[in-house]
Amino acid sequence: MKPHLIALKHGLPVTLACVFAASAAAQTPVDPLGDRGRWADMQRQFYQGGEITFDPRVRVEVPPTAEDAMNVPVAVDARALAGEAIERIVVVADYNPILKVLEFEPTGVAPYLAFRIKVQQSTPVRAGVKLRDGRWLVGSAIVNSQGGGCTAPSTGRGVAGWERTLNTVSARQFSSAAGDRLRFSVLHPMDTGLANGIPAFFIDELNIRDAEGRTVARIWPAEPVSENPVFTLELAGVQRVTQIDGRDNNGNKLLGSLR
Amino acid sequence: MQRKTLSMLVAAAFAGASLTAVAGPVTDDMILNDAKSTGDVLSFGMGTQGQRYSTLSKINTGNVSKLVPAWAFQFGGEKQRGQESQPVIHDGKIFVTASYSRMYAVDAKTGRELWQYDHRLPEGIMPCCDVVNRGAALYDNLVIFGTLDAQLVALDQNTGKVVWKEKLDEFSAGYSYTAAPLVVKGLVITGVSGGEFGIVGRLDARDAKTGKIVWTRPVVEGHMGYLNGKENGITGETNASWPGDTWKTGGSSTWLGATYDAKTNLVYVGTGNPAPWNSHTRPGDNLYSCSTVAINPDTGKIVWHYQNTPNDGWDYDGVNEFVTFDMKGADGKAVRAGGKADRNGFFYVNDAETGKLLNAFPFVDKVTWASKIDLASGRPVYNDDNRPGNPGADKQGKTVFSAPSFLGGKNQQQIAYSPDTGLFYVPANEWGMDIWNEPISYKKGAAFLGAGFNIKPLNEDYIGALRAFDPKSGKKVWEVKNNAPLWGGAMTTKGGLVFYGTPEGHLKALDAKSGKELWAFQTGSGVVAPPVTWEQDGEQYIAVVSGWGGAVPLWGGDVAKRVNFLNQGGALWVFKLAK
Repeated sequence: MKPHLIALKHGLPVTLACVFAASAAAQTPVDPLGDRGRWADMQRQFYQGGEITFDPRVRVEVPPTAEDAMNVPVAVDARALAGEAIERIVVVADYNPILKVLEFEPTGVAPYLAFRIKVQQSTPVRAGVKLRDGRWLVGSAIVNSQGGGCTAPSTGRGVAGWERTLNTVSARQFSSAAGDRLRFSVLHPMDTGLANGIPAFFIDELNIRDAEGRTVARIWPAEPVSENPVFTLELAGVQRVTQIDGRDNNGNKLLGSLR
Repeated sequence: MQRKTLSMLVAAAFAGASLTAVAGPVTDDMILNDAKSTGDVLSFGMGTQGQRYSTLSKINTGNVSKLVPAWAFQFGGEKQRGQESQPVIHDGKIFVTASYSRMYAVDAKTGRELWQYDHRLPEGIMPCCDVVNRGAALYDNLVIFGTLDAQLVALDQNTGKVVWKEKLDEFSAGYSYTAAPLVVKGLVITGVSGGEFGIVGRLDARDAKTGKIVWTRPVVEGHMGYLNGKENGITGETNASWPGDTWKTGGSSTWLGATYDAKTNLVYVGTGNPAPWNSHTRPGDNLYSCSTVAINPDTGKIVWHYQNTPNDGWDYDGVNEFVTFDMKGADGKAVRAGGKADRNGFFYVNDAETGKLLNAFPFVDKVTWASKIDLASGRPVYNDDNRPGNPGADKQGKTVFSAPSFLGGKNQQQIAYSPDTGLFYVPANEWGMDIWNEPISYKKGAAFLGAGFNIKPLNEDYIGALRAFDPKSGKKVWEVKNNAPLWGGAMTTKGGLVFYGTPEGHLKALDAKSGKELWAFQTGSGVVAPPVTWEQDGEQYIAVVSGWGGAVPLWGGDVAKRVNFLNQGGALWVFKLAK
């Protein structure tokens, strides 16, 4: 489903990178978080195929302690990587029952994404930035939590008629001297499937398009993203986002327009 | 050396494939050949004609006593309700649906789960008769099924990921979906459920690969049909058989799906009861309720209809499947005919090409509402005093005792036809009801009945009976009685066998000629679903879903005594011969 076809365009360099990666992967870089995470498992499952470096330019901002385990704000900021060719960003949480949080492809926007997640217990949150040359640059942070965010039912379940507002998109673009910012929310229960008797039900695809219809960013959320998710993106220079579309894992489509 | 071996293996695999199953995408030709191809089950009814007949004979009257479980698969969850699903099987995978709009893909050899899809249902769904699903359809790389909130979902057969999803209608207006879709000529054809809520029955055809609507054909007079987004003619003639605005909430839901015969190029759909139940609110025939309606899939237009119960007043919800077969006439020539065991207690044989009534006979012992079906006019001869009375301004009209009960001489449990014996195998039920009418007015999303009822068994020792009928003579050749009402479909094979399940939990094999019981297995919960059979690696397999539920425990009245001790479950059982 996810078009990671860039490698085809760079056949030779990627092959070389892979050879290099094979030797590099053997030497797992030391996790700056030490034994507070399970980096080796995360690397094996999510950060394969190229040399890995923990890079302070990839910032993961979380509160030191989660006030609400169902809504932990996370900001991934890789804008300091200016000049690097970014393919995608993969966010995971080591100690959540569902590890992957989301993937983000900032094709035509700044490599910055803020959102909220559910955490089941204290956990590292990591963002791996995959470069087009195959390398991974990783940033991590720890959020402390009382826990329980993933196995509780969404609060929307108790509200009769949630299906009438399902996938409603609210979006706004803000201007500033530093550049424009896009913030949007989608009404969705984002059920993890771990609460008894409630199937997994979550948005799994979002496309952000500009006035010319070009896809400037794509997000593939997973179950740990919070109910009624809110996303904030930093736009690159003068840019007009006009449409947000996507769907959930049941095939319910969503569509929002900005004027 | 190695390469040569591989290519030989590939060649061998292809040679085998042509005989049994074809791997890869499911095509229209494969679906049309489903009744003959033994290595798969690609459609509901084991062939679009719905005969539920297999040409396999490796399991037969001589060895069926050696049938043993190969494996079982549990649906699990807290959602064990009625399991009425027929599995479909392709390319080594079994696709089976379960209560609460769930679907599983299972390795056909081992029973290992490949993936599971749980549809997220809103709280306000309104299924009238348990949260069942009857199965999926296969097309291309897709497995397509409908949900209780009236959505049609197409999943990738290999991954279980949603490829497309379309809304059939508004669940909040009472629409839902429980049948297995039918695929004909690249179209996925679906009806709707919700006849108890005053919805309007119809058949929709969508591009099976994309879900895009192609045509829709309402089955209540007065409603407009559409083809490729353009008006395609009104069904029937407005107000010809419905007074005033009654057609606008005329019911006639198409909740049990449809069959298709390539020879006639017609889709046959049974239509449900007119709404509301109180027939005095809608004098007239109320076309095309309680009918068999034949629709050309190329045009989305009705070619013929035959109404089993004009102006129904008993909920003789004639959705029952129309199963086409060749019947030899007096001149020795075979006529393409169709058999239907109707809710109203009569078995009808119609010309599949024209709809002309060829034969009609009761398949239950007691029928009170009509003395017979007149073969010349094609209409029932009513017993007028057996129609529940008009309440008029009173709170309640005159109560009558009618048989069959509204749960029908036959309900959703499917009949089977064997070209070997020339017999139809009908899972029938003997019961009656006290029924009375009450005043009623329509409110969107609310039950639209205008009747009260109490179901009663007619015999001390049985309600259900699996019966074999000769469609030409109407003769009952044999029967096997069952204490609880039968609610699972039948299947028959070239091995001379009839398979069916009971609410008491047994899957049974009978001699198709004599009805003699040759084998039974206790599945651990009631069987209310039809069995299937196929062949893999040279062995014949039988599969059936077990899990008690459906309409009987919800609406059963005095019948409850015979079923309220039955426990729920949810499992797929697979059997083969012991080696």
